[in-house]
Amino acid sequence: MKFLFTVAFLLFISVIGYAQDNYDVDLIPASLRNRANACIRNQETVIDMRTPDNVMLSVKKAITVFNQNGEDEARLVIYYDKNISIKGIKGEVYNSIGLAVTKFNQSNFADVSAADGFSLFVDSRVKHYLPSVNEYPYTVVYNYEIRNKQNLIIPDWTPKPADDVSVEKSSYTFICKPTDQTRVKTQNYNGTPEVITDEKQKKTIWKVNNILAVRTEPYSPAHETYATSIQIAPLDFYYYNHKGNYTNWQELGKWIYDDLLKERKTLPPATVQMVKDLVKNEKTDKDKARKIYQYLQDKTRYISVQIGIGGFQPIAASEVDRLGYGDCKALVNYMQSLLSAADIESHYCVVEAGSEKKSMDPKYASMVQGNHIILCMPLKGDTTWLECTSQKIPFGFLSDFTDDRLVLACTPEGGKLLHTPKLTTAENLQIRKANLIIEADGNITGKMNTVYEGSQYENQEELIGKSITEQHKLLKETYNIDNIDFETVAFAQKKDMAPKLTEEITLNIRNYAPVNGNKMFLQLNTFNIKKSIPEIKNRILPVYINRGYTDEDTIVYTLPDNVDTTLIIGQDKTFKSDFGQYVCKTSIEGKKLTYYRKFILNDGTFPAEKYADFSKFINDVNSADYLKLALSLKK
Amino acid sequence: MSNYFRMLVSSIKLRQFIYAQMNKTLSLLFLLILSLTTQAQNFNYGAITHDDYQFDRKTLDSNANAIVLKEFGTASIQIDDNTHSLVLIFEHHVKIKIYNKEGFKEANIVIPTYKDSNREETISDLKASTFNYVDNNFVESVMDKKAVFTENRSKYTRLTKFTLPNLKEGSVIEYSYILRSPNLFNYKTWEFQGDIPKVSSEYVAYIPGIYNYNVSLRGFQKLTDQKSELSKECLRLSGVAIDCSKMTYLMKNIPAFIEEDNMTAPSNFKSAIYFELSDVQNINGGKTFYTKTWKDVDYELSNYKTLGDQMKRKDIFKELIPTITKGSTDDLEKAKAIYNYIKKQIKWNNYYGVYSEDNIKKSLDNRSGNVADVNLSLIAALSAANLDAEAVLLSTRDNGTVNKLYPVMSDFNYLVAKVNIGDKSYLLDATEPLLPFALLPLRCINDQGRVINLKKPSYWIDLKASQKSTTNYVLTGKMTTDGKIVGTLLTHSMGYAAYAKRKDISRYNSPDEYVEKLDERLTRIKILEHSISNLDSVENALTEKYEIEFTVNDGSNNKQFYFSPFFINPISKNPFNLNERTYPVDLGAASDERIVINVTLPEKYELLEKPKDMAIGLPNAGGKYLLQTGLQDNTISVSQIMQLNNAIYQADEYLYLKEFYSKIIQNQKTEFLLKKAN
Repeated sequence: MKFLFTVAFLLFISVIGYAQDNYDVDLIPASLRNRANACIRNQETVIDMRTPDNVMLSVKKAITVFNQNGEDEARLVIYYDKNISIKGIKGEVYNSIGLAVTKFNQSNFADVSAADGFSLFVDSRVKHYLPSVNEYPYTVVYNYEIRNKQNLIIPDWTPKPADDVSVEKSSYTFICKPTDQTRVKTQNYNGTPEVITDEKQKKTIWKVNNILAVRTEPYSPAHETYATSIQIAPLDFYYYNHKGNYTNWQELGKWIYDDLLKERKTLPPATVQMVKDLVKNEKTDKDKARKIYQYLQDKTRYISVQIGIGGFQPIAASEVDRLGYGDCKALVNYMQSLLSAADIESHYCVVEAGSEKKSMDPKYASMVQGNHIILCMPLKGDTTWLECTSQKIPFGFLSDFTDDRLVLACTPEGGKLLHTPKLTTAENLQIRKANLIIEADGNITGKMNTVYEGSQYENQEELIGKSITEQHKLLKETYNIDNIDFETVAFAQKKDMAPKLTEEITLNIRNYAPVNGNKMFLQLNTFNIKKSIPEIKNRILPVYINRGYTDEDTIVYTLPDNVDTTLIIGQDKTFKSDFGQYVCKTSIEGKKLTYYRKFILNDGTFPAEKYADFSKFINDVNSADYLKLALSLKK
Repeated sequence: MSNYFRMLVSSIKLRQFIYAQMNKTLSLLFLLILSLTTQAQNFNYGAITHDDYQFDRKTLDSNANAIVLKEFGTASIQIDDNTHSLVLIFEHHVKIKIYNKEGFKEANIVIPTYKDSNREETISDLKASTFNYVDNNFVESVMDKKAVFTENRSKYTRLTKFTLPNLKEGSVIEYSYILRSPNLFNYKTWEFQGDIPKVSSEYVAYIPGIYNYNVSLRGFQKLTDQKSELSKECLRLSGVAIDCSKMTYLMKNIPAFIEEDNMTAPSNFKSAIYFELSDVQNINGGKTFYTKTWKDVDYELSNYKTLGDQMKRKDIFKELIPTITKGSTDDLEKAKAIYNYIKKQIKWNNYYGVYSEDNIKKSLDNRSGNVADVNLSLIAALSAANLDAEAVLLSTRDNGTVNKLYPVMSDFNYLVAKVNIGDKSYLLDATEPLLPFALLPLRCINDQGRVINLKKPSYWIDLKASQKSTTNYVLTGKMTTDGKIVGTLLTHSMGYAAYAKRKDISRYNSPDEYVEKLDERLTRIKILEHSISNLDSVENALTEKYEIEFTVNDGSNNKQFYFSPFFINPISKNPFNLNERTYPVDLGAASDERIVINVTLPEKYELLEKPKDMAIGLPNAGGKYLLQTGLQDNTISVSQIMQLNNAIYQADEYLYLKEFYSKIIQNQKTEFLLKKAN
């Protein structure tokens, strides 16, 4: 039976081999054209792990581009460095009826540095090519082969790379020795892969067919959470002359610690002594750490240098000590070394940083997760986290860059997954109080005080330290109101674990409340208007709100004498939903008109059908934020 | 036109004169000092003084995060010891005071150099140090050689990058290097102005007597001093000692160059000195001219392999023309047919250029080419159809304006076609398929271009947009008793407005998907039905017709209610909200937007209040805004015209623009107040 199957399979293969591939666009089923900017007609990705230092990747891909938006998918991009050699690239372009128009090869590719804009140096490079075709649709067919001289990172497979791409068929084949052990992370893949084993090799094949393009929906979870993907991690690995093996985070963390970090921590004796002197009067470890952190922030700055071992190994602590700069790895490693000079334990932690929260997968350890390093101090139960690349961030505060996610702590005992503290809806505050005087001609003058906390702490933080002219310019972007001007601007910071930033400004807005006939028009909510969001029918994905926050605005307007305050009718609004709350109230007391607004947005994941409620909630808030009063003027 | 000055050069075999043509901006007198030559005024490396360390930024710019205390550059032409060819040697030496952390980025230095398969620029003798004042001493931290990285950014660019060690608030940093360049043509540009202020910036250029450069100073800042001296025997060529003119340019107290929004090319305004080689006196007699008169340039370009020769390649299109122009009855129709053919046939590869990359035959075969390939093909094809076609050299907006005093070929970076039919002429660029015939892309609308004709002398032509950016909205509808407006919104877009919209729509799979997105975005307005016409016929106005519905109020208070008529493209933010402007404002194109609204009310209403009718204008007929509203026979009518007649407004017009928009915003905050008639 098994024999029979193999024969059938071989026959099938040979039929494909002999058939002239037809790239006529009319052959694409209508369902695959719907909402698609491009369609992957066929992609075959084969990884052959011959030895740990010789992993061949061969890709054959045919993609049809329907319009300009689909061109991104047609661009062939190959990153490479010293560990990767490109064996060959060739391809053809077909027009809509499937006739070959042009051919291309490696010489047509642009070859540029993969520097990301702020790095002092990055030693990886990128080759890329996009065929020049003026008429849509067209089809690009190419194949290339790459040799990886390592197997710590195996190219993974995401057959459908984006929402607006459909897939006719795509396959992923992983070949290794029957004795090789690997772990596989399977995500959103229906069925089981086909496995073919003989004495020499074990071949595992994953296949997908006819995946439709979908519309990109706002407030969706990250693409990788709902896309089909396969990731593979071999047990035994080889990387830049390092060898090791791991099956879980504990072992991977151990390898990182032992092979990449341990040797990098030595500080010159003078620096060790300096640290000891620095903290000798501090009583607790936390106070000592605070002092050392201050020293770090004064001494160092962030400069990215990505060389050699794939950007995984920090430069030595002694180098940072000498130069006064380093990247995230180097600065964390340096801080850790300074702390250990004061006998304070801390852990080097790998994290996927970014405002959108992404955790390490507890069930699947791999080297590709994480893009940043932070430091964790256990402090006997008073766990304190440090971001070491910023010279301004308060001690013990991670900000929304790394809050609320699983990170890998690399300790001498091995890797451990830890969870960073969450900045909650109730903590993420923006509390504003303003006293504004409206003149008879509609000009406004007054003072405004705003306190920012939690994830909102950094809203205006970049203004601190900037010159006055620069501050005024940036404030005009934040408070983009016609004719606004600032007289005084002051910031105060409470820099502790739960930091607070206070912004105090005096401002004037000429003709804010225009007078027309015997009416003065006043938009009550001056500074904080919630943007509307699209209304989407037939929502497919769940609604994901990454982070919650609370805003409170209280504006007291002193009205001019000629306003007839008896005619003012407040239009209070209150909305409440699973997604949050909104209150706006107006009240009048003598000449003082008080506008109060509170908006709470909750974080969380909600079912897709709730999107209509969500957009209604936000758009109701948006309309209410534009509330305008027509104030009657006394004659 | 230019000032000439003479300098006697002692030479064994030849007595000769050198001419240096100076731009008008540099038309200061030069002193001739034949016997005295002073040494270069470079300052000593590492000699940090208390004055440096304590330099008070208030004397220059109290907002500065860092200040260049001193900058010195010197350039000369010498024989390279290895290759025995002439190279330009440029030495750069800078000392910077860093005031705060915001200024730390000034310590991350990137020096770009040119390279290709034959030639490259190299950096050597690089040194850099940080000076900190510690315990009453200046402590120098020297940068490691291994902290210097070179990165091959792309095919033609290499970056030398380094950062300084032990940087603190208050540090003084210093660095110097030598750059060797095979490019003698542009000598070495010197930028007096940078992104931080400079106390002093001095440039010394040693120009051998046999070399003659056109020199131009750009920007608003004035030179503090400049002089010309003789530097004897500064170069030895084939055993002949050649004297140099030693040109010194000094600028002091230079403000930072700060870019503003909507700015034309920074290079138009940044203070810098530019060189272009005019001619070289050969040792064995005779002169080689590099920059010449337009007459010479015309002759050369007409026969240039990648320019004039390509214009002449009618042969490629001769056989295709009858098919392309089939059905065209007159020359204009023929030209349009050819223009459409090239737009479709050759895709622009996103590179600019005035020269063909290889030749147009290859572009036609590959269906891809740079700007010159596309438009030289167009010119050749037009000529093949016996139409009078010329080439226009121009500089795109981001590339700055061109020198009009004499030909500076390197100023030009773009080439378009000009076709003359009857007594009319049309400027054509076939790189943008969505632009109509005779409308240049905005990037080309930049002052003047030079028309190159194969048979006649070249001449300047104004690069003006043949159409404005025009949009007309007409809404006709009725208000229902439950407070909704239901009606038809008809939009016509022309010129750049149509181009932008077509481009936007083309990003979607179908116009339906575009409208779906639009409907999602306009949360207050529901699009019930739509039709978009003339999407592909770019010569005609793009027409969108939407059946829409939107809510004015919930109908609960329909006896008396407020209603804002500004719901189509309302203006709520002022794009000119700053108080100062240094450089001209570039709005792209002149624009014209008209809105007409007619809404029938469900019952008889009185109009108690309404936004003021307005008619305001900008000075010098720069633009106008007109608004008229009213209620007649139960129909609310709104008519609004907004015109901005210039693409570029001068810096001193900024506050007028600000006030213009402010007036509109204030008026758009007011509303109709309607009361049900009894």
